[in-house]
Amino acid sequence: MIVETGHYALVLALALALVNSVLPIWGSVTGDRRLMAVAPSVALMGFGLVAYAFFALTYAHVASDFSLANVVENSHSAKPLIYKISGVWGNHEGSMLLWVLVLALFAAAVALFSSSMPDDLRANVLAVQSWIASAFLLFILLTSNPFARLANAPAEGNDLNPLLQDPGLAIHPPLLYLGYVGLSITYSFAAAALISGRIDAVFARFVRPWTLLAWICLTLGIAMGSYWAYYTLGWGGFWFWDPVENASLMPWLAATALLHCTAVMEKREALKIWTIFLAILAFSLSLIGTFLVRSGVLTSVHAFASDPQRGIFILLILVVFIGGSLALFAWRAGGLKQGGLFAPVSREGALVLNNLLLTTCCATVFIGTLYPLALEALTGEKISVGPPFFNLTFAPLFAPLFVLMPIGQNLAWKRGDFFGAAQRLIVAIGAGLIAMLALAAWRGGPVVSVVLSGLAIYVIVGSFADLGRRLFVGGGATAIMGAGQRALRLPRQAFGTAFAHAGLGVTLLGLAATGWGAEKITALRPGDEVEIGPYQLTFESVQPRAGPNFAERIGRTAIRSSGVLIATIEPSTRFYPARKMNRSEAGIATIGLGQVYMSIADVAANGSVNARVFWKPLVSLIWIGALIMAFGGCLSLSDRGFRIGVARRAAKAAASSPQPAE
Amino acid sequence: MTRKKRRLVLISSALLTLSLAVGLVLFALRDNIVFFYGPSELAQKAPQPGTRLRIGGLVKEGSLKRLDGQSVRFAVTDMKSEVEVAYTGLLPDLFKEGQGVVAEGALGEDHVFRADSVLAKHDERYMPRDVADALKKQGVWQEGAQQLASPGK
Amino acid sequence: MLWVIFAILTGFAVLSILWPLAKTPRGVSRGASDIAFYKSQLAGIERDAVQGLMTPEDAQGASAEAARRLMALAEPPLERSVAGAGRAVRFASIAVLIFVPALALGLYSVIGDPARPDLPLAARNEASPARMDLMAAVAKIEAHIAQNPDDGRAYEVLAPVYLRMGRGNDAAQAYAAALRLLGQTPERLALYGEALIYAANGAVTEEARKIFEAAAKDPSLAKPRFFLGLAAAQDGDLLRARDIWERLLAEAPDNPPWAQALRERMAAMPGAPAAAQNESAARDAPAVEGGSGAKANLAAKIQAMPEAERSSAIRGMVDALAARLAQNGQDVDGWLRLVRAYAVLREPDKARAALVDAKRNLANDATAIGRIEALGRELGLEG
Repeated sequence: MIVETGHYALVLALALALVNSVLPIWGSVTGDRRLMAVAPSVALMGFGLVAYAFFALTYAHVASDFSLANVVENSHSAKPLIYKISGVWGNHEGSMLLWVLVLALFAAAVALFSSSMPDDLRANVLAVQSWIASAFLLFILLTSNPFARLANAPAEGNDLNPLLQDPGLAIHPPLLYLGYVGLSITYSFAAAALISGRIDAVFARFVRPWTLLAWICLTLGIAMGSYWAYYTLGWGGFWFWDPVENASLMPWLAATALLHCTAVMEKREALKIWTIFLAILAFSLSLIGTFLVRSGVLTSVHAFASDPQRGIFILLILVVFIGGSLALFAWRAGGLKQGGLFAPVSREGALVLNNLLLTTCCATVFIGTLYPLALEALTGEKISVGPPFFNLTFAPLFAPLFVLMPIGQNLAWKRGDFFGAAQRLIVAIGAGLIAMLALAAWRGGPVVSVVLSGLAIYVIVGSFADLGRRLFVGGGATAIMGAGQRALRLPRQAFGTAFAHAGLGVTLLGLAATGWGAEKITALRPGDEVEIGPYQLTFESVQPRAGPNFAERIGRTAIRSSGVLIATIEPSTRFYPARKMNRSEAGIATIGLGQVYMSIADVAANGSVNARVFWKPLVSLIWIGALIMAFGGCLSLSDRGFRIGVARRAAKAAASSPQPAE
Repeated sequence: MTRKKRRLVLISSALLTLSLAVGLVLFALRDNIVFFYGPSELAQKAPQPGTRLRIGGLVKEGSLKRLDGQSVRFAVTDMKSEVEVAYTGLLPDLFKEGQGVVAEGALGEDHVFRADSVLAKHDERYMPRDVADALKKQGVWQEGAQQLASPGK
Repeated sequence: MLWVIFAILTGFAVLSILWPLAKTPRGVSRGASDIAFYKSQLAGIERDAVQGLMTPEDAQGASAEAARRLMALAEPPLERSVAGAGRAVRFASIAVLIFVPALALGLYSVIGDPARPDLPLAARNEASPARMDLMAAVAKIEAHIAQNPDDGRAYEVLAPVYLRMGRGNDAAQAYAAALRLLGQTPERLALYGEALIYAANGAVTEEARKIFEAAAKDPSLAKPRFFLGLAAAQDGDLLRARDIWERLLAEAPDNPPWAQALRERMAAMPGAPAAAQNESAARDAPAVEGGSGAKANLAAKIQAMPEAERSSAIRGMVDALAARLAQNGQDVDGWLRLVRAYAVLREPDKARAALVDAKRNLANDATAIGRIEALGRELGLEG
């Protein structure tokens, strides 16, 4: 009964989404406030229904209800509970349901936290959100229904792909979807603004927190996915320039650009057209990513099932939403008034350059991802565009961003002073140079690593330069005494910016340090020793061990540094009988900020085990940097100027005295 | 600065970035893409020894030989022609005789393909269509996921 | 109960639309929101300037700009909003009252399955303790195998249980594992071959035939020889099949229990002397057990007909089956029989068409599709 009511709730959600696609827009066109008021209430109800449907599917997975095709294909009664739950979105149908759940969640959040928003803007935003929801609910119900039942329920299921049986899967997709689909809100805002024709600083003010929220989730989701690949795929890589990864990187680049752009628009009302364009672009790239992953055009761990019919349906959604919004854009963009003016060397100018570089980076990723597909479709020639292509195109375009980032932060709005800004960065530049020289003298190693490390230090220190200048005004003891007080009064957004930028520097440092890593592939017998980086590894034993739904062979290995035991790791190979699949699990020991990473393969005939051993200094900084970025984002989000509830009080105050103050 | 001049600066910096990007992309596309061939295609196209390639097909039954240390040799076949592959390193978990495989590397003068990465994948995108179809016909088709293996860079 | 919940859900959904339509709207107009925004911006600039976070010049410039925009708003635009419930609202209310339930129930009646209750594993196990015992035993052996993947005996115990549960593929894989781990014996090979046939819905595949050939090296085993005969029969080589089976019967020591069944089967083969109890050739039933009484009688009658009449009678039966399936396409076994019948009648086009129809009719049933596709592969009709 739970299953079928969940199914019905999903159908009902489609009916509501269709209603919400029409009534609010009708209201905003005719100025009928009752029709507009329908939008938030229906958005909340719609979320409730989709959430119930999702709960019903989760229940079916947890209870191993093998009368559902989806459960049979992706679950097994012996699977641990956490993977029964995460298995709900570890497949095509379930992940699309999660997609729609997040879509509905964001609509509901807008409905709840937007009482200060003008009625017509809110009505239009929620209506556009409902268009997207309608399209995807139709897609689910007609082509990928998770509630499809089987006439004869089998006794046991086929189990989830072992690669996906990992705690990472429990967190990675929901986070990524919060980011991916969260961008739908910026899209809806842009489309709503284009429909009403009012695109101004007020619009930017309302769209900013949502962009930031989506960006935070996307950042965390990508980092999480990268770490997951790092420890499950067994060869120590963390980014493969795999098309599926690129599909998440592109929206991130666009969202980052959008984030900076809305700042300009809110402060100066400049770059209006560009902001709207980026808002559309960011979500369009999310949609393209969904299409690439879900249509079976690409195949990877993420492509659960390929079905041409589904591909065509998503392609259709893609064409309608991207094409429609761009047409709307072309129609309205011409009529926009010029915003605030600024000199090329200014905060605005720097942000324009930032946007330019970010979107160009995004374009190169786009080309690298889609070129092989286009070429195969046109000529039948199969090629692969791998890391060399991206290293050669993406890196040179992204590197200037690091150089310019601290400088831009130190430029004034409207008209800046380049040399003044450079002067303020004296400390940062010095720190970078010293780090570079010290590293070159102490470690030597690849030039790229040395240069990038120096650049990273410059970025980290430089990110706080502006903050420091604002805190320590004047000189001497008074400045330090005043700093604490000032810090309290300073908008949290200023801290947020500094942390987010520094986080990127931290990630860069982690990337740069990969050059100093070491790798060994060797055959080991119990008792053998191997030296990696500064550590000695002793391969102690190979033992079988039983997991809940797999059998594994673990290779106990002790890590010593100058004779002292530091850690023990247990890399393993696992066998999952339900799917008859093997999977290896790396053994990782985090020592300081670096990691010793080891993965083993099957036991050879002579009793030795083939192993791959890495020493990766500072590697954890790559993900710590992402966490710092997200932390910075959260700080900004909690800022008064960003907080969604604040304008409400202001609006009430304004409403009580309708005459403008001047 | 007049408004016109400002606009000029903006547009020219945009053009500069774009042309830089276009240049990089074209350059990278010329030198850094890797073609994908099946054994038959490889024999037919006869690329220059040393050109980076990806080859894909089935690991021929009974062809896997483990040499000393980490080196292995195996043959990749599409049921019509085959090519000998030499590889040093860990084979991925899903690597099996009779299963689909993709190897990246270059063909040597001696017509042995020296792979520096091997991907095992039960997946039709990484094998010539007729091999995939042949597999399907024999009913040994398995849905599965990919497993990557490649030496660090 | 289910429909009560549906009604309640629908009611809530409709209410969520009607309620705001009935209420007096209370919201923020454009003008108020704009003014609030610029005022808060101005206040923010002032605050920053007072606290020394902004130079006085910057603050002055910024506040001038914000003030300019605020003034540009001038009069708040005249609200066109309608306060009372107009015609539009009434029309919308009625439309929603009809549209939402109609669409939801309409679409659900097409794709939903209201008659099917939940089927959680725990409840299924409670409902049939025997089944649970079996399931528990299987789970236990499976767990044991997960820990000791090299225990061939466990596979050998598990395989026949799988076969009884109808999991032909799993049974075949378990026997394969047993063969790998315990070594090949003719008995084991024969069991493996039988599981393969079960997995292939009764067709003797090329792989199975090879296995039986290997197993038949031990002439004392009847099973491989029986299946080799069946393979020949399925290939249409009836003479060879008869030859194999006749020798099998002749060499069998003192009338084994299966001899009678085999004799009946042989008698049912075309060209055989008419016998009283036999099977229809057109059905080419692969399983070892015979057909039910009534069908067997009918088959006997057909068997007794002259050659031309017989083939037309068989054709008539096949046509009747096809017609029945065209009416009701949910019968998986019927489809399998029809496809095989066409294949036996050497009509591959019709067989292929039947495959396509079967898949369309059973699109919602993944296991059925699997069985049909497997049959198509076996008969070489796909690919």
